[in-house]
Amino acid sequence: MLLFEWLSEPLPSSPDDLSELLAAGTKEVHDKAENNVFVRDFLRGRIRKELFKLGAVALYFTYAAMEEEIEKNKDHPHLAPIYFPTELHRHEALARDLEYFYGPDWKSVVSCSPATQHYVERIHEVGQSDPVLLVAHAYTRYMGDLSGGQVLKKVAQRALKLPATGEGLEFYHFEGIHSPKAFKQLYRSRMNELDLDAAAKEKLVQEAVHAFHFNIEVFEELEEIGKTLKDEVMDAGMAVHGNMDGDINKCPYYAAQMAARGGSAYVCQMAMCVLRHPTGQVLLAAWVAAMAGLAAWYLM
Amino acid sequence: MADAQSEAPAQQELLEVEEPLLSNLDIFLFSLIAGLLIYWVTFRKKPEPIPEFKKLDAPAPPSRETSFMEKMKKTGRNIVVFYGSQTGTAEEFANRLSKDAQRYGMKGMAADPEEYDMAELSRLSEIDNSLAIFCMATYGEGDPTDNAQDFYDWLQEGEADLDGLNFAVFGLGNKTYEHYNAMGKYVDKRLEELGAKRVFDLGMGDDDANLEEDFVSWREQFWPAICEHFGVEATGEESSIRQYELKVEEDMNMNKVYTGEIGRIKSFENQKPPFDAKNPFLAPVTVNRKLNKGGDRHLMHLELDISGSKIRYESGDHVAVYPTNDTAIVSKLGDILGVDLDIVISLNNLDEESNKKHPFPCPTSYRTALTHYLDITHPPRTNVLYELAQYASDPKDQENMRKMASSSPEGKALYQSFVLDPCRNILAILEDIPSLKPPADHLCELLPRLQARYYSIASSSKVHPNSIHICCVVVEYETSTGRTNRGVATNWLKSKLPTDNGHKASVPMYVRKSQFRLPFKATNPVIMVGPGTGIAPFVGFIQERGWLKEQGKEVGETVLYYGCRHKSEDYLYEEELAEFQKSGVLTQLNVAFSRDQAQKVYVQHLLKNNKEEIWKQVHSNSAHIYICGDARNMARDVQATFHEMAEELGGLTHTQAVDYVKKLMTKGRYSQDVWS
Repeated sequence: MLLFEWLSEPLPSSPDDLSELLAAGTKEVHDKAENNVFVRDFLRGRIRKELFKLGAVALYFTYAAMEEEIEKNKDHPHLAPIYFPTELHRHEALARDLEYFYGPDWKSVVSCSPATQHYVERIHEVGQSDPVLLVAHAYTRYMGDLSGGQVLKKVAQRALKLPATGEGLEFYHFEGIHSPKAFKQLYRSRMNELDLDAAAKEKLVQEAVHAFHFNIEVFEELEEIGKTLKDEVMDAGMAVHGNMDGDINKCPYYAAQMAARGGSAYVCQMAMCVLRHPTGQVLLAAWVAAMAGLAAWYLM
Repeated sequence: MADAQSEAPAQQELLEVEEPLLSNLDIFLFSLIAGLLIYWVTFRKKPEPIPEFKKLDAPAPPSRETSFMEKMKKTGRNIVVFYGSQTGTAEEFANRLSKDAQRYGMKGMAADPEEYDMAELSRLSEIDNSLAIFCMATYGEGDPTDNAQDFYDWLQEGEADLDGLNFAVFGLGNKTYEHYNAMGKYVDKRLEELGAKRVFDLGMGDDDANLEEDFVSWREQFWPAICEHFGVEATGEESSIRQYELKVEEDMNMNKVYTGEIGRIKSFENQKPPFDAKNPFLAPVTVNRKLNKGGDRHLMHLELDISGSKIRYESGDHVAVYPTNDTAIVSKLGDILGVDLDIVISLNNLDEESNKKHPFPCPTSYRTALTHYLDITHPPRTNVLYELAQYASDPKDQENMRKMASSSPEGKALYQSFVLDPCRNILAILEDIPSLKPPADHLCELLPRLQARYYSIASSSKVHPNSIHICCVVVEYETSTGRTNRGVATNWLKSKLPTDNGHKASVPMYVRKSQFRLPFKATNPVIMVGPGTGIAPFVGFIQERGWLKEQGKEVGETVLYYGCRHKSEDYLYEEELAEFQKSGVLTQLNVAFSRDQAQKVYVQHLLKNNKEEIWKQVHSNSAHIYICGDARNMARDVQATFHEMAEELGGLTHTQAVDYVKKLMTKGRYSQDVWS
């Protein structure tokens, strides 16, 4: 998915516009983030509600930290040009989403995960020691939200059967932005107005790459959590049978329907299901033990 | 299985070895079994409920049938709608289209190309009156969606002979991406190349604007065309396909009746911030003066008072206003429809599942609906004519109205000559087709909603924090039928005089933030190109630069290129601009008077005259360029002038020059606020 535009031929105009340096400097790590398993699955509609909720929690802590630092530094000459709280700030929208998912007590229910904490700490660190680097974090998140992020909204809405009225997805809805394209252009022009020398720009690009890595770390953490949620039934994504390697018998829904129709495959299917379950195994063991015991008793 | 198997032999071994201790062993085995049973009973997990899984209406189990031909033949279907969908929208459209088929006496089914053998398309003609519709979304860089990848590869191989296949394509795309609707376009072109027959033009939906609307418009023209192609009578003739049901409200509590509010009832009486699209602010009009000194047009400057509303704006933003229709037209409609406009009615959606309960706020009166909520001035779309045709008692009229909705060349030409060229609105059509007598409620269901109008704000909030200024031209013209058509909002605004018989005129409005902004640094030069009413946002920009100067800030070059017809007639803000130039805020003023001499002189000519200086500002001094005004010709011509500049003075090829300007746009240094 192309989120950046770039030219194939070098032009006589200034190649040191921050927006262009950032785009070029983060291209590689951006591709890496896009190809992350969690992200790819998400785009395909394979996102479990529990993980989506945890993802929203991670976003909440991240944006709360970032927007807190931006607010503190809003008059700083390097942040004032890109200060767009009405248009961009997300932490309130995220708070509403978390309330929708976790109830009115959401604040006491959710917590900041290790990977998110790592990210948040960095944000506070730069906010306090070198505020200009906040530009890198803002760029990484907001530009993404206004690009591919819009696609994620639709995918999530469908995959998680969220209401058409937008609850749970307010993060993705930028009320104050009529045209994401025009806004991104404005944002780029503001970034390019920052008075920075080559060294400072290079530092910013590196910080943006760091920001991507923090995001990837959060995705990987979510992926790990996802593995422990294996038994949960996954909501249907796109091609429901797409990841069955073509063997429809692996689909639990198909099996359930076969059962309903009394197919003979049902008994075997059921047996296999039971045997995969640890309790099933214990039960079988007990049954065999009982039979063995009875047989022994009878024979003795 | 492994655990159990390893346990059993262990038990047997235990038995053989411990024979003398048989009785103890009995007890041992018994307690072991008992223990296991107790474990099973107490620690067994309850069968996990399958969360959030609604019971499906027992559809036919997904058989491994990969033949859509078989399926269609078995179930008597002649139409198949394939979808290339990533987020489900194309799939939804495909489902809706397949359901539509019923209304026309046909049977359709939606199908995922990933699940079927698409090579069967070459055989679809085995079914009579068959048709393959494709709803194809474009993903990323002009790529197919995941589920359409195989189909795309198959099309590229190009080994199929699709002679005899009837098809139509609707593409789902987004104009902000470079390869707009690439997939839709490709499928439409490729199928034809492979020999298939296109029975309806490619439809293209733009998700950046209104995808749903694009789809509905295409679909409304599509079905009549299909019916005509197959020589099938649309069965919707006798029974009209109403979406809403009329309810006449008797003894209604007038407090519950809408009288023109956009959102909450009584929101015009009890105004509560925050003010937005659903809750507009009634801003009093404090100034309404004519801007031009002569000529036959009426250009005006209005000032809206926003004190106490907590509304904030920035120069470059847009003000949205909710206009109302001309009461004279509404009354005439009431007469010709033969209905009492003041009875209170509700139009309730027959589909109870739908989120949209009513087409406009209900309950309300016909008068309110036609004045505040419905568009009665734009030429009606073909689907409206098609639905109304049944109410024409003259069969020739009925035929013509249906014809205009078809995609046949004669039909299109008739619509063009009868509706579009003479700009006939619904009243004109009712007057000119006397046999047409539709019921008022059905007409109200069909007419589109009256939209808010947007104007570029012509003031700076730094200088005028409590006032929003508007600069616009009143739309009024004669049609070929001898009628005078008037623009809804501009005429409505014209009538908003500060005190109207002691009653303050007010305008329901809100501010829509735009991204048309002065540079952050006041020292950055700005080049503004805004002929005609395009000057509006620049009045705000110049006021702001002036304010910054007063604050002691260093302000860069502020250059304006303006154009009008005659210096003595429609030179807008002439005095104000002269003042700004005198005080040094406006560092350069270039005005083109197009009709003051034999040859036409426009802003782009003036730009060309100053090309060296402009190029220097743009290329070396980080100047920001702003274009405001007419989209169709002016914006295009100005852009071409910048291409030429880049080629000539930047030593670039034409392609490079085009890219250069495109890049300026991406970087926010070439911004446009244009309208058509």
